[in-house]
Amino acid sequence: MIREKSINAWQTGILLFFMFFANKILVLPSLLFSEAKFEGIFAVVFLFLLEFGLLILFYKLKVKYPSIKFYEMVKNCFGKITTKIVFFLVAVYFLGKIILLYNVTYIFFSNLIYRESNNFLFLACFLPVINHLAICGIRTIGRTAQIFFPAVVIVLIFSIAVGVFGIEGGVVVEQAKFVNIVFASLKHLSSFGDVIILFLFMDKIEIKKGEWKIVFSLSGASMISVLAVVLVFFLSYTYTSFLHPFAFFEILSFVKEYYGGLGRIDIISMVFIILLTYFQLAVYLKVFFVCFDGLFPKLDRVYSVLTFNFIFILITTFAVINLSKIILYGESYLPYLSLISFVIVPLCVIVALFGKKNKEKKE
Amino acid sequence: MEIKEFIKQVSEKLHNSIDIASRVIEKNGVQIGFVYLKSMTDNSIFSDAIFEPVSTFEGEFSFGAIKNLIQANDVSEIKEEEVVDKVLKGVVVVLFSNSEKILAVDILNFLTRTPSEPPTSPVIMGPREGFTEDVKTNITLLRRRFHSEDLVFENEFVGSSTKTQVVLAYLDGVADKKIVKEIKKRLSKIKIDGVVDSYYLITLLSDRPNSIMKQIGGSEKPDIVAAKLLEGRIALIVDNSPIVLTIPFVILEDFQNSNDYYTNYIYSTFLRFIRLLGIFIAVTGPGVYIALQLFHYNVLPLKYLITIADSTQQIPFTPFIEILFISLLFQILYEVSLRLPSYLGLATSIVGALILGDTGVKAGLISPPSVIVVAIAKIALYTVPEQGSQITIFQFIFLILGASVGLLGVIGGAIYVIAYANTIENFGTPYLAPFSPFIFSDNKDGLLVVPVNDMTNRPKSFKNAKVERKE
Repeated sequence: MIREKSINAWQTGILLFFMFFANKILVLPSLLFSEAKFEGIFAVVFLFLLEFGLLILFYKLKVKYPSIKFYEMVKNCFGKITTKIVFFLVAVYFLGKIILLYNVTYIFFSNLIYRESNNFLFLACFLPVINHLAICGIRTIGRTAQIFFPAVVIVLIFSIAVGVFGIEGGVVVEQAKFVNIVFASLKHLSSFGDVIILFLFMDKIEIKKGEWKIVFSLSGASMISVLAVVLVFFLSYTYTSFLHPFAFFEILSFVKEYYGGLGRIDIISMVFIILLTYFQLAVYLKVFFVCFDGLFPKLDRVYSVLTFNFIFILITTFAVINLSKIILYGESYLPYLSLISFVIVPLCVIVALFGKKNKEKKE
Repeated sequence: MEIKEFIKQVSEKLHNSIDIASRVIEKNGVQIGFVYLKSMTDNSIFSDAIFEPVSTFEGEFSFGAIKNLIQANDVSEIKEEEVVDKVLKGVVVVLFSNSEKILAVDILNFLTRTPSEPPTSPVIMGPREGFTEDVKTNITLLRRRFHSEDLVFENEFVGSSTKTQVVLAYLDGVADKKIVKEIKKRLSKIKIDGVVDSYYLITLLSDRPNSIMKQIGGSEKPDIVAAKLLEGRIALIVDNSPIVLTIPFVILEDFQNSNDYYTNYIYSTFLRFIRLLGIFIAVTGPGVYIALQLFHYNVLPLKYLITIADSTQQIPFTPFIEILFISLLFQILYEVSLRLPSYLGLATSIVGALILGDTGVKAGLISPPSVIVVAIAKIALYTVPEQGSQITIFQFIFLILGASVGLLGVIGGAIYVIAYANTIENFGTPYLAPFSPFIFSDNKDGLLVVPVNDMTNRPKSFKNAKVERKE
């Protein structure tokens, strides 16, 4: 009987494709514009380069240790206590990311559609689905994402193409300073670095020799798509970009009566955002579960599920949700935690790669 | 052996059932007895092939002589404890007073349907034969398509009361032995009093018996089952059922239709997309409509919004109640038309569709857009009728989701359902293969249909012993 619990190259690539959109296509472009004007796009390029570096690091690690668990690898290099600390930090970081992504989506929808709704309606929608996906495991998430992938690609290409036709302003070169770009990059560091999810699932990823190009191609395509969305948004709204908080939605709103034939098409962007948000939250939650298992290996899965849901409902119920507060949270606190993505995890990997303590776990 | 006493014992074991028949012939002090069920045996064959030759025989009655006299193909020696079982299976049991040996003569014959076109799978082009309720006929229908020594039929019996014959059919060297073994293991573990139709086995053999998802394939057409055997699947022919089950099953099979292979492949590909679209509309149509009407009206184009608002403003019910009412009404009419004789069913359809629908709209109880949306969704459901029961349930679930939380709920529901389907594996076969996991080569007969000569490999979605189709 076939009992593979792993994901293949396509599923890995598709998950990365989805994750590269997380926290990047709604509020980020507008914020970048307010900080670095049109040159804000360089911040995205710079951060994506860092992210690509992480992906290369993962490739090297996976080639060297095809089936080892991340937990075991870190434990072999740094000992049990350090490993627990790293896993605790990663769990906190991803819980933070879930809260950020959920709140941004909540604000987006409550501003535009569900005006009379409350947080519980959203929780009732999101929690069962993301819990189900995360409990079923990374293979279920990967396979489900694979089903939706063609629809996501079609919607994305359509949206970008329609957005390009809606561009009215020309390319405007502003004079943002280099320091503005660096500052904007650091401020929004937490919106990037999702490649580290691969490290946490590395024992569940099976990529054959010659299939890495699929992963790299899909990641590259995703990065280019995000850049295209940001660029189209900047060129559509030019100097007023910072006034429009929900970039991907605004692109299609801008051309909503496109040629009069299609009618309003901004509903497409809404569907796209809903779809991606579900998957992104599910993957983040799965990372949280993996970290929880690492921290408390003897506890049953039900404890991690209960812990997450309890904390999440508590925070989203009692924390006042509004756009400015959540942006402040995302810009002030999460960037420090992002060091986990860009410093701590890569450091662990580098030590594992060049250290001699790890022995390939034979299965 | 005391023949009359033995026959009496057999009759008592069968509670002196009215269809038990027995005859005794005596010659030179030697008795020959016959026990059989009248309901299962052809009287004229019994008379011509067994009784007549024995009663007119002029020689000495002996086991060997009588065995040679009987003009039947299937004559075998059985043990005393097998007698009741054999009689129940329609076999004529021959007893000898001068010998402990017992003969079983199989002249089983009862009324069966002749193979005809099954009502569930009509074809425009292609074979019109369908399986019947008789297991032997069904085996013949398959055997006729394979002049190969590799086609294997194996017997199993299920049900303590019915002892239903279940025949496993597979191509040796093509079907995966482990799956065959696993099916036999699961059949042997079934503890049930009776299996009256093959659909009982669907639940009993499934990996997830409580799941809403259909997990074992079924067909009434021998050409379809033959094609599945060629792919490396295993068929289960259940006595008294015209539905032959096939294992392993993937959801794609329900999107495939025998017409696809008997017509132009480009047109077949087009039809596959239409079926997919049909399923999509059937499942999400009413839910999406209600979501747009209740939550997302501000993203609807103004002209559509005005049309919907115009037609719904006089309706006394909420949009959800309205759609739910129409959907339930349709479901009631559907059930009624299935149960009633065809002439009454037609009348009910007319009453339902024309009188109730039209009058409902005119009376201002239901709106035309709602009727259209439900009608389209219900019609679309039958692009893949094999999935009808599941889709009907999902239709109502998505309707509730759309009415409660709008598109957020509909999309969440879609992800949940697909994720759930992704967790199902039957006999090690992913339920949504070859879409997820995506298997490129299997998609030659997936959403696309390529010419038969390009289908060079067997499906990789499930295990089979030989991948290459061409020798």
